[in-house]
Amino acid sequence: MQVRRLAAWTALPLAVTLGLAACGSGGNGGSGKSNPNAAVSIQIGEPQHLVPTNTTETSGSQVLAGLFSPLVDYDAQNKPYEVAAQSVASSDNKVWTIKLKDGFTFHNGQKVMSDDYINAWNYGAYAPNGQGASYFFEKIAGYDDLQSVDPDGDGPKAAPAPKAKTMSGLKKVDDQTFTVTLSQPYIDFKTMLGYTAFYPLPKAAFSAPGVLKDSYEQAPIGQGPFKMKGTWQHDAKIEVERYDAYPTEKPKVQGVEFRIYQQLSAAYADVLGDNLDVIPTIATENMSSAAADLGDRYKTSPMSSFQFLAFPTFDKNFSSPDVRKAISMAIDRDEITKSVFKGSQQPARSFVSPVLPGYRDNTAGAAGNFNPTEAKKLYQAAGGPAKITISYNGDGGHKDWVDATCNQLKANLGVDCVGSAEPKFADLLTKVEKKQPVGLFRMGWVMDYPSMEDYLGPLYSTNGSSNYYGYSNPEFDKLVKEGSAAPTQEEAIKKYQQAEDILAKDMPVIPLRFGQNVYGSSTKVKNVEMDLFQRVNLVKIEAVS
Amino acid sequence: MFRYILRRLLQMVLAFFGTTLIVYALMFAGQGDPIQALAGERPVTAAQRAYLTEKYHLDATGVGGFFYRYFDYVKNLVQGDLGESLTGRSIGQILQQAWPVTVKLALIALAVAILFGVTAGVIAGIRRASIFDNSTLLLTLLVLGIPTIVLAPLAQYFLGVKLQLFPPTAGSNPTFYALLLPGIVLGSLSLATALRLTRTSVAENLRADYVRTAKSKGLLRRRIISVHVLRNSLIPVITFLGVELGNLMSGAIITEGVFNIPGVGFNLFRAIKTEDGPLVVGIVSVLVVVYLVSNLVVDVLYAVLDPRIRYE
Amino acid sequence: MSDFETVAASENQAARRGPSGEPGIPGQVGTPQKPRSLAGDAWRDLRRNPIFWISLTLVVLVAAMAAFPELFASNDPRNCALSRQHAGPSGGAIFGYDFQGCDIYARSVYGARASLLVGLLSALLTGIIAVVVGMLAGYFGRWIDAVLSRVIDIVLGIPLLLAAIVLLKRVSTGGPNTRLAAVIVVLAILGWTTAARVVRSSVITAKEQDYVAAARMLGAGHSRIMWRHILPNSLAPAIVVLTIALGSFIAAEATLSFLGIGLKSPTISWGIDIDAGRVHMRESATPLVVPSAFLALTVLAFIMLGDAIRDAFDPKLR
Repeated sequence: MQVRRLAAWTALPLAVTLGLAACGSGGNGGSGKSNPNAAVSIQIGEPQHLVPTNTTETSGSQVLAGLFSPLVDYDAQNKPYEVAAQSVASSDNKVWTIKLKDGFTFHNGQKVMSDDYINAWNYGAYAPNGQGASYFFEKIAGYDDLQSVDPDGDGPKAAPAPKAKTMSGLKKVDDQTFTVTLSQPYIDFKTMLGYTAFYPLPKAAFSAPGVLKDSYEQAPIGQGPFKMKGTWQHDAKIEVERYDAYPTEKPKVQGVEFRIYQQLSAAYADVLGDNLDVIPTIATENMSSAAADLGDRYKTSPMSSFQFLAFPTFDKNFSSPDVRKAISMAIDRDEITKSVFKGSQQPARSFVSPVLPGYRDNTAGAAGNFNPTEAKKLYQAAGGPAKITISYNGDGGHKDWVDATCNQLKANLGVDCVGSAEPKFADLLTKVEKKQPVGLFRMGWVMDYPSMEDYLGPLYSTNGSSNYYGYSNPEFDKLVKEGSAAPTQEEAIKKYQQAEDILAKDMPVIPLRFGQNVYGSSTKVKNVEMDLFQRVNLVKIEAVS
Repeated sequence: MFRYILRRLLQMVLAFFGTTLIVYALMFAGQGDPIQALAGERPVTAAQRAYLTEKYHLDATGVGGFFYRYFDYVKNLVQGDLGESLTGRSIGQILQQAWPVTVKLALIALAVAILFGVTAGVIAGIRRASIFDNSTLLLTLLVLGIPTIVLAPLAQYFLGVKLQLFPPTAGSNPTFYALLLPGIVLGSLSLATALRLTRTSVAENLRADYVRTAKSKGLLRRRIISVHVLRNSLIPVITFLGVELGNLMSGAIITEGVFNIPGVGFNLFRAIKTEDGPLVVGIVSVLVVVYLVSNLVVDVLYAVLDPRIRYE
Repeated sequence: MSDFETVAASENQAARRGPSGEPGIPGQVGTPQKPRSLAGDAWRDLRRNPIFWISLTLVVLVAAMAAFPELFASNDPRNCALSRQHAGPSGGAIFGYDFQGCDIYARSVYGARASLLVGLLSALLTGIIAVVVGMLAGYFGRWIDAVLSRVIDIVLGIPLLLAAIVLLKRVSTGGPNTRLAAVIVVLAILGWTTAARVVRSSVITAKEQDYVAAARMLGAGHSRIMWRHILPNSLAPAIVVLTIALGSFIAAEATLSFLGIGLKSPTISWGIDIDAGRVHMRESATPLVVPSAFLALTVLAFIMLGDAIRDAFDPKLR
């Protein structure tokens, strides 16, 4: 104690004499002078790919966020504003004109032109390239011509080459302007452009038109605030350094080392030892001690993740909405977020994330409120099963809350309940697809861009890409479709909200929790901010000397 | 002896291909949905599924499909091409990066086991039921009662973060010092077994007639133990350690994870999780060679330690 | 080393069994009428060994706990409530409550069954396979050794994780008992190799000993030499490896749980609890320490028991 107080007293005058007055944005963890010549280190996992149209996980997306600058980014209200674009405009939400901002150059010196966007997007959409984020282009006219159907499904015959190599909806106007024609009006197209898949690729990335160089991924050339320093050192690190010709807000550090970790707890130990500067996600097992270990270097910020329990429709035990509502009412969300998550997550009583424009509290109504007596009555009246299984993937740190939920259901509904772990999520999905008894199963969703449609579409629409449980309601589908085709944001949100109200009636899933970014930093950095997509803001972060 | 070794080397080739066949078959049997496994919780697009299925022949199923894929693999293997992982990385390169650090780690762990395990075992065996002997038993129990999943993070927190005696993690290109703590953690269970094994062996041999003979001949106690007893006690210990070298290389999944060492154990774990057949087979093939060679060395050592054992 | 002393020593048992009742060791002149067997001698020794009794009591205690857990703990181990998270001792919960608010003591008592089954049965299976394979390979040598040793090498190479995933996937729709059996089988199938190599090494050493040559000269068959002469003399290292393996199998189950492929709820085991306690060990260490202590004590009991029995069966100690 003595020593610490002494240190504090000596540190204070030091900080004053070093002239902290110049730094208006202090008070964020580390104190001391910002050092623009220092590099910072940030934890990531080994990215699967570093080609923008093939990057769908957070680690790759974090690195690309340094190397590239998006057409639009999101403001405090999560509405899009232009960054690399001068303007993104449309009169009918069908034909969009994108004008590029002057001054952007790729790290090899090439000026960014509209062709670089068109080529990159066509590459991403062309099916034989097998890009993971290709579905982002499916709203663009002509996307279907770049796909091909395998004549015999999983059989030995190869799919024929697609009809076209370029999407008819992409048209170059001049070097700085191009138009995008969608197959049908889509209100959120501008919002969507903030996603990783919509970055441009330089001419140097291609060895021939439409053919990406194999080596590109090892050292991607972008137009963002940082450029690659050396190549991608697999399973070790990716280093980037400040790109001085970057035209807008310049980074405040000389470079960033993205250090690759296999386990979050290892990265956490390194942050405690000041060997690593930022850990963007603190693992559940470190959560309880993190606040004490890190003090004001432990932080939370909004994020879009949404955790829920799903009921497969093939299981007749849960076909009655009342059974599902009763189970929802028997879960004490507040106790679980408090005791299991130590307040790092928020109870969810709606079907979309609170970060979205159009979010409303407690849309699930009475079913979202903890009420054990009502729950038991309703459950028995609706004839719920005597045994409940909750399946989850054992590799995601879900055991604690699943077990806690089961214990609550046991106590409140008088049923038998077990949590059943599958090794990984893919195994769980395989079981669901084979219609094997899984009981309830857990799912999570993180948005790609801030729009209610990004939840309602994939999760609850009949053909939704993540609707593994088979929920289908034509009225709901119609409302979501009408919303995305609406002429104004206000009207779109109204339709989306009506659709959400249907979910509250049908209760196809039980909303459980909304996540937050829970992150920590070393004493050597300050101004560490995270965005909605679990990425560290690389132009804001500062190194402290 | 030379012919014996030659014969063993020939057997090795057979065992090598036997292993690739078995492991390939296991991966094949365990295959669920590797493409979804790679994507994690995200949905996979039809285009991507078709692309990966085509590229890695994932659509070849059944017995025919298995042999088709296995012989395809072996054909490339013979040409020195280990194939590509599902993320498009060359497996040869992955192995090149993973093996050196794992070998270093395993050797440190083995050195720890030999240095402390065998030495303490000899002392415990000579002074049976002494305080020292009983405290080695206590140590064994501690190591057994605290599995690596607990020991590794504990050691990291107390020795790495709190006392800052060691770096908390080692990373991909670690110094010897950074590997020391992971090495000790990894070697602890081998240490305990080697210790108990040496102790029993030494205690047993101390009662042998040749020791009585040596004693009655008036040989020094030190010489009796270091030359006669030790030499005769080492056979089971060396056998154990020979096997353990391979175990330490493949079994470091937990330790490599906690100390962030991107070695063989970590890659094996990742490959099994993402159902990356070629990568698993690639790693295990090299691993089997390690076992084969170390067991050959051990077998040859038998003859050195005990002249009565002869190989024709 | 061609003295006949060794032969005489190991043939002692045969001599002792003779009706002449010649005392093998001075001071042990007892009931001359009754024929004395090796086991009888061992039992006589064991009865006077306090370590034997202590370890036996512990083993019986753990076994009783596994068979009748309700006699040892009054609380229901599956009755958990978050409101009691990490609460101190109260009622029958002498060690307090864990993260989920379950009675730590009750869970450890009820966990004995699965853990003991995993440890004992895996070690037993391992022992049987290891002794048979090691004995055949070491004794016969030549092509039998070549084949068996290469099988060992191959099995050594197969990662536990892979085999566990493949096998547990096969039984993924089965009940908790199927899963328990699968875990035992996986641990044994991949765990016997080290012990087998150790047995093989002792057999190779033992078969060159003079008493084996003597037995062969006396016309003993292969199986008699293997099981009556070599086995008792080469078992000591195997017992060490197996008693430790017993403990490490119980702990390995914790690792399997950690990797998501071990036993799972509603089964209760020390491994599951150690893994769960590990996650929150910085909040409260008791949920980790208690099952670990149960595990360590069980292993201690078996190690001491193994030591005592081995000593008792060693004729050279008399």
